[in-house]
Amino acid sequence: MKNPGLTWRRREALRILAACMADWWLPRCLFAQRTSTPRKRERRVIVVTFGGGVRYEDTLARDGWVNIPHLASDLVPQGLVYPVARHEGLTGHFNSTGALVTGSRQNVDAYGSEAPVTPTIFELFRKEHALPPEEAWVIATNKSFGLMGGSKLRSFGDPYSANVVLPKQLLISTIKAAVSTNAGPGVEDRRALAERMMLALDEGYEGFGWRVYESGRALGAELKATLAKSLIDYFNDPATPTSGDELTFFMTKEIMNRLAPSLLVVNFWDIDIAHYGAYSLYLEAIRRTDRLVHELWQHVQSLPQYRDRTTLIVVPEMGRDSDVAGNGFANHRSGDESCRRVWLVAVGAGVPKGAGTERPIRTVDVAPTVAQILGFKMAECEGKPLAELAF
Amino acid sequence: MQFNAALTGDAATLARQHGEMLARLPATVHAFILVELEKWPMLFGPEQRYQRALLEHLSRVPTGELDQAVSGIGRIEAESGVNRLGERNPARFQDEAQALLRKRGLIVDWRGEVDGFFQKVDPVLEATLYAADARRRLVVQLYGGGIAVQRDRLWKRFKGVGLRLPLNLEGTNATEPFLQALFGAGEPGRGGPALFAAAIESAPLDAWLIESHEALHALWKMSKTSETSETSGRNDRGTSSASLTGLSYDRLRSYRDDLTRALNRKIQSGVESPQAFAAYARSLQIVPPAGTLLYAPDILLAFVRDVLISGNGTLLMNNTFVEWAAIQALRRAQPRILVTRFGVRDRLKPFSSMVLFSQPRATDQIPVAQDPVGSFIDVEQLSYYVWLNAEKNPAYRKKTLYLFLAEGVDEMLAIRSDAPIAAQSGLTPARLSDVHATMAQWLGVSVPNGSGRPIVEILQ
Repeated sequence: MKNPGLTWRRREALRILAACMADWWLPRCLFAQRTSTPRKRERRVIVVTFGGGVRYEDTLARDGWVNIPHLASDLVPQGLVYPVARHEGLTGHFNSTGALVTGSRQNVDAYGSEAPVTPTIFELFRKEHALPPEEAWVIATNKSFGLMGGSKLRSFGDPYSANVVLPKQLLISTIKAAVSTNAGPGVEDRRALAERMMLALDEGYEGFGWRVYESGRALGAELKATLAKSLIDYFNDPATPTSGDELTFFMTKEIMNRLAPSLLVVNFWDIDIAHYGAYSLYLEAIRRTDRLVHELWQHVQSLPQYRDRTTLIVVPEMGRDSDVAGNGFANHRSGDESCRRVWLVAVGAGVPKGAGTERPIRTVDVAPTVAQILGFKMAECEGKPLAELAF
Repeated sequence: MQFNAALTGDAATLARQHGEMLARLPATVHAFILVELEKWPMLFGPEQRYQRALLEHLSRVPTGELDQAVSGIGRIEAESGVNRLGERNPARFQDEAQALLRKRGLIVDWRGEVDGFFQKVDPVLEATLYAADARRRLVVQLYGGGIAVQRDRLWKRFKGVGLRLPLNLEGTNATEPFLQALFGAGEPGRGGPALFAAAIESAPLDAWLIESHEALHALWKMSKTSETSETSGRNDRGTSSASLTGLSYDRLRSYRDDLTRALNRKIQSGVESPQAFAAYARSLQIVPPAGTLLYAPDILLAFVRDVLISGNGTLLMNNTFVEWAAIQALRRAQPRILVTRFGVRDRLKPFSSMVLFSQPRATDQIPVAQDPVGSFIDVEQLSYYVWLNAEKNPAYRKKTLYLFLAEGVDEMLAIRSDAPIAAQSGLTPARLSDVHATMAQWLGVSVPNGSGRPIVEILQ
């Protein structure tokens, strides 16, 4: 049960913060600057990862359905399921998601200090169609994903990368900036505010020993301000946030509402709490991710820019170790089959309904499939387009 | 490759005696062995015996055979450039080699070759180290009162392995009488529950109690001898025949707080890499306050520190601490008796509940609440992992009786690793004193004033 006093204090604090920010950060123009005004693309793709990794047995296997009720009961009947998918690369977070967005196995620093070494879907998409940055987004709970939006290749990289938003980090920097100004309430109030807010956001399981690497492509100041304002509104909402993934979900909706990008990769990551060895919390995070995916799909249906033209692809970043051959659910380092076996569910535009195929696929197939759906070339990658989705 | 290892005493002697063979090994294997030898004073007896047996075995293998056995590892070292690294410190060499193998994309292949090598060596060593007629062992796993046990899901992970036996708890539902009936009351002058006192002989590391809370420690504290041991604090080298090894997550609280504060300060001042952070953590000279541990030699202080800084979530989750400490104790110290007692963990607080390395937080005003339902789901998995890991260990395989009990629950699970126990129905409920007598008979010890009768269905 929530402590109402504490909730009130936090809301009050956030209202003060919002007031404090109003004179200082809110943009004159609500939307980000665009480098051009290209024609809106017809098709949209949203790739959502069960970040952190989940085991097949805890999700898509018969005994796991209880943990993914929305996927199992609502989305799978509307779409296509590949129950046999495999992640073949390194079983770390950055490299496994890197493989998803490049179509090739990656072998870069596990803590996010290096960008992928082959082109990402974002760069190829934007470059081929001369699209502005607002057309491609990565929204990630995992704070090591700052460089996930673009590769380190000279002919690609920053000019063509996706916008990368790490919502919690954005809120932290917003708070820090707000309390460092002289405008608004007294300094002591702001200190108390800062302390309270920083504590509220300091989720330790992603704080262990590594820093946040800034995205190569910095968000525009006005765009950043718009998103920061959204976060403040969010915290004032009666639906109090409870996790990093809730925040990521909120931010994803904001970006969809305001900018309607054609390509989004959403990384939910609360599941990685499994590293703390609490199986119940791991299962709880899986259920939360399942719910958020379902709510995201409902949000897609509610927006004219997305309804009937969006393909949603849901895939775990990787698996986690098996109990017997590996080190158990808490880890993903054994490289055993449980650590590699995943699944993929697709729903929406172009996806056959209520279908499934036992044909084995690989997570590197996601990127060329996205390329085929959005109509850009992805010649040099390890994966192959999934024929059932990309036609 | 020549390494400069900081070796003393027996470790230096071993390295010298087997120097020729070590020099023939691929650098990564050579460095691994030297790193282990460097830790010699902090290795438990079984670990030292393993290293000694490994060196002696490898020295006996003919040169050509040994070269052949490690050729795959050598090939990957050459391909990755590991064999050209100039670092002479074995631990730093290991770090550099790992980084290089990772960078070259050869870490998985290298690990496969190393696993393959040890899969051939280990059975030979096991035959030497673990005699078929070695002493029997006992692992008891308890769910503390307060955990919301769901009877229809209890021990479900074991999927029918072992015998489920009804219990007659008659007046022993609560924690203290439950534990007293199960392990026997302390015997004046011998210290602690009679079962342990009789079974541990002269080595405190032969029996371990690992728990989330303090109930097992409280049971031990009832004896005069253990009180004496405790008041002498961590400087007590625990040579008393009545001592045993006890780790309690709750009792370690001030130590955990000190540790987390130190780690937090380091994080705030900047961390180069996870490896550097781990090295810093290992270098910390913080020790638990006097009286925290029942038995506190340096090797155990190092063990506790390693469990807290290297185990997933062990600093934050009481039951994770119990599981990880138990698994490490089974692997490293190989006690004859291990008792784990899981408890109720705290509920996570919205958005702010996982504040690693910054406890205690003066400004944290959210009251602590317990999560008995989540705790049950957790301990079902964790107790299963303790069992799985014990059975992977040749010291326990085919020699161990595993008992699983939940306080206040009139049922238990018994697994014998040497023989399957047939499932039976219509069994007469056993009393906890019968379970006590069964454990004593299994271990081959006599306990005074025992009123229970050994459970035939388990022992036959």
